[in-house]
Amino acid sequence: MAVVLLPSLLAAEAGGQKRFELDAATVRDALRSLPIANLIFDEAGERRPLVNIFVNGAETRDLDIPLAPDAEVRIVAAIAGGRR
Amino acid sequence: MLILVGTRKGLFLLRGGDDRRSFEVDGPFLKGWDVFHAVRDPRDGTIYAATNSWVYGGSVHRSADLGQAWDRAEQLGFLEEGDLKLEKTWHVEPGRADEPGRLWLGAAPGALFRSDDGGVKWEAVTGVLEHPTREQWQPGAGGMCLHSIQLDPTDPSRMLIAISAAGAFRSEDGGTTFAPINKGVAADFAPDPFPEVGQCVHKLLQHPARPERLWQQNHCGVYRSDDYGDSWERLEGNGLPSGFGFPLAVDPNNPDVAYVVPEEGAESRVTSDGRLGVYRTADGGATWMLLEGGLPQEAWLAVMREGMAFDTHDPVGVYLGTQSGSIWVTPDGGEEWLEAARDLPPVLSVEVAEL
Repeated sequence: MAVVLLPSLLAAEAGGQKRFELDAATVRDALRSLPIANLIFDEAGERRPLVNIFVNGAETRDLDIPLAPDAEVRIVAAIAGGRR
Repeated sequence: MLILVGTRKGLFLLRGGDDRRSFEVDGPFLKGWDVFHAVRDPRDGTIYAATNSWVYGGSVHRSADLGQAWDRAEQLGFLEEGDLKLEKTWHVEPGRADEPGRLWLGAAPGALFRSDDGGVKWEAVTGVLEHPTREQWQPGAGGMCLHSIQLDPTDPSRMLIAISAAGAFRSEDGGTTFAPINKGVAADFAPDPFPEVGQCVHKLLQHPARPERLWQQNHCGVYRSDDYGDSWERLEGNGLPSGFGFPLAVDPNNPDVAYVVPEEGAESRVTSDGRLGVYRTADGGATWMLLEGGLPQEAWLAVMREGMAFDTHDPVGVYLGTQSGSIWVTPDGGEEWLEAARDLPPVLSVEVAEL
């Protein structure tokens, strides 16, 4: 099964679970099946612009690529700082 | 007493006795979230928080056990086809005592949401979303936020909302349709200084014991209405160093009493005269008096629009939180002020609950 790894804020929102093992046809399907899907996608179903997705260590903008059974999907909040 | 303090970095709960003189700080809860507003629902004790993340968007969290466990809204946003997207959540208002499960949410851009299931699912109110004057609304510096929601205590069909910068609106049909109530309220920044809509209301309150009396802290002055907002009187001057400011408080025991915290102006948003100056009127806004007992007299601060609250005691307790992370409390209507907490993150909201 593929693995999806959550950053700490999303893990807190998922009841403390940081790692999800699941099967899905695409990366998007995998993300949409998570209990925190509405924090990754907005109400129109679009990925929030500061949520980055890495598959096996490489950032992907296309979420409709097939999800390999041994894939590692990592959700990473964009790095930004300095304002506060 | 429980003070709910929303900050840039989570929620803090301050617990204290009825003497309102000392408080213990608990938290932070909701780490990683900006808490624009948090309130304890007097009907069942649930805490609701308008939460925002610069990465993950706006939401509403709720806790039935004073912050130990939290759930998040499952459905919130603009579900119909259209260009609007939820930007931020600003204010949660619990429904009336005989409306279990009903809540109202003010949000940006210019949106009112209603929940009938205790905050799980939220539906946008069409009468605000498709308001015939919407084209004339403009976002203020904080976005086009719907920040004030007042449910009339005597008439269940009447409620009031205010949006920056769209103005104040009143519903007479339980929150389905809304009519502008901005007569006499200035929009000094607009080509027409007295338009039907477009006023930059910063906070609006309805007096709980005299519901026809409304108070408004506006970008362009402090106002009072004695006819549910049909007309407004500008109360600037008479002791106020500036008409510009954000927070507002009233005394439930006396409709002639109100509190404001003036700032220098739109271009210099710090407390007037280099002090933390809370001003109180005891005559319906005709005159205002500086309260300085215990408050910093050399200070350049800001108190946000949700940053002041009041309780139901007599004398009234008033609570305010600053952008520099202090919570100030007066247990006697404003004569003496005590610093209930300091060095918190920048304070966005203050509410008080009587347990």
